[in-house]
Amino acid sequence: MRPENYEAQRQPPSNEYELNFGPNHPGIEGNYALKVKLHGDIVLEAKADGGYLHRGFEKLMEQRLWIQNIALVPRICVPDPSPMELCYSMAVEELCGLKVPQRAQWLRVMQLELSRIAAHLFTFGGHAATTGMYSTMYWGVADRDLLLDLFEEFTGGRVYSIYNIPGGVRRELPEGFLQRLTETLDYIESRLPDYDNLFFKNQVFVKRAKGTGVMSREQALEWGVTGPNLRATGLAFDVRRDDPYLVYDQLAFDIPVEESGDAWARTLVRRQELMESIRILRQVVEILPDIHGPIRAPIPNPLAWNVPAGETYTRVESSKGELCYYVVSNGGPKPYRVHVRGPSSMHAVQVLEKMSVGSRIEDIAQTMFSLDACPPEVDR
Amino acid sequence: MSQQVAHWLDNLLKEIEGIEVRRKSSRRVRVDVPADALPALLELLQGRAGYIHLSAISCVDWIDDDEFELVYHVWSYESHSLVSAHIRIAREPGVYLSVYDLYQPAAFFERDIHEMYGIHFEGSPNMEKFILTEWDGPPPMRKEFDSEAYINEHLSWQEYNPEWLQELVAEGGGVIIPPEEQRFSQKKK
Repeated sequence: MRPENYEAQRQPPSNEYELNFGPNHPGIEGNYALKVKLHGDIVLEAKADGGYLHRGFEKLMEQRLWIQNIALVPRICVPDPSPMELCYSMAVEELCGLKVPQRAQWLRVMQLELSRIAAHLFTFGGHAATTGMYSTMYWGVADRDLLLDLFEEFTGGRVYSIYNIPGGVRRELPEGFLQRLTETLDYIESRLPDYDNLFFKNQVFVKRAKGTGVMSREQALEWGVTGPNLRATGLAFDVRRDDPYLVYDQLAFDIPVEESGDAWARTLVRRQELMESIRILRQVVEILPDIHGPIRAPIPNPLAWNVPAGETYTRVESSKGELCYYVVSNGGPKPYRVHVRGPSSMHAVQVLEKMSVGSRIEDIAQTMFSLDACPPEVDR
Repeated sequence: MSQQVAHWLDNLLKEIEGIEVRRKSSRRVRVDVPADALPALLELLQGRAGYIHLSAISCVDWIDDDEFELVYHVWSYESHSLVSAHIRIAREPGVYLSVYDLYQPAAFFERDIHEMYGIHFEGSPNMEKFILTEWDGPPPMRKEFDSEAYINEHLSWQEYNPEWLQELVAEGGGVIIPPEEQRFSQKKK
């Protein structure tokens, strides 16, 4: 879609016209484009156009040492990077037969849930902005910043924390961290009624989101939809519960579902998930002080590390849905192949294309943000 | 996955000839099939065992064997297990059948593999470029494509050594933030 490659074409007289929605558009998450064909303001056809954020991660990872890739993977998904590190680390651990110490597993859960809250707050902000409510965006980003402060404190990095390494985590918690975590959680929880009044119960949003971007459960299953988008159609499926990893089977949490499958339902599911994540984190705060021991398993010299030959497919539940890594080793110092399956590779492409058809042009942004589609995951 | 379901699945898979089943863990099954039996296997898994979710299709380039490996990961929401079906196809001409009629998500993965590895999937709804729209070189994920060599051949390196950087390096380099100025320590309740 570069201007020099674009040639205007004269078409026969018609009421239909084509529009490039993106790649720089406030209604698009990240850099991504939809080529839409319109009749008036009704979308007749939508074609996704990706690649603006392609950085060739899968190829790069084949050229880096196993340990170097840890710095690479979080960059695949900007708003929710932690599950990326974890999924890759889990794959390497499985190939090496490494057993992760208990304490590290609990610390990983803490990191993941914090990341989930941060990602959801970010999405609410973006989603509210598509209905013209910018205050929610400022609030969401400001509150997310408090979580980033926590990330900075216990991992050293605000956005890309690079906290996991194969075998465990990099650092022990700083003194008094759990206390500060509790305070932040209390604060976020105390803010939720404000968010409800400002956004979730706001008629501007409710009237706009209800009935927008509807999919039935059958459609969702057919299109490969996962995560909160699938739960918004009434199917209570969560990788954390149904294909458990880490210590999620020892934690008590509910899986929020909604039935209507529209933009409103998807947002409500995320709103309730925020509360569940806070609930999980409180359990972590309670249990973590009683779990002692090392935070990582001994690993060989990381600069001369030949991971045994094999292949594995690891899955985690990211804030956007099912995130999977297919990792193949041929026994060498670098991965032979890493395939990243981001949940948005479904949501941002086929699902968005199908759901846009028949809707109005202003609903595209609403649909995309309610799907929480993340283009960097698609382009990799 | 309960014992009963596992047993039932094993029996079901025996209906395919030349199949090799390996149970990796309670929720992961690896299946190796001849390439021409894969559509039948997926049909069985989807139609009779509830594996309705195609999680991904992965491609691995085994250049030394002159083969591509395609891996179809399917998940069952009922038995909570994942079957990975592995097939191998010849690198040349690199053509295989689409499974779009069984699993709609296949369209994206097949298009992606076509773009990155050059495998053509017959019957796939869209084989147009998606990510590498303006790329006319060889499929970049193939093992014979050396990205570093490509860069050295087609692009030139730039020298970047401004004065401020030289000064910084002369002073020992790096930026030091004292602890009291670090962001998290500023936040006092």
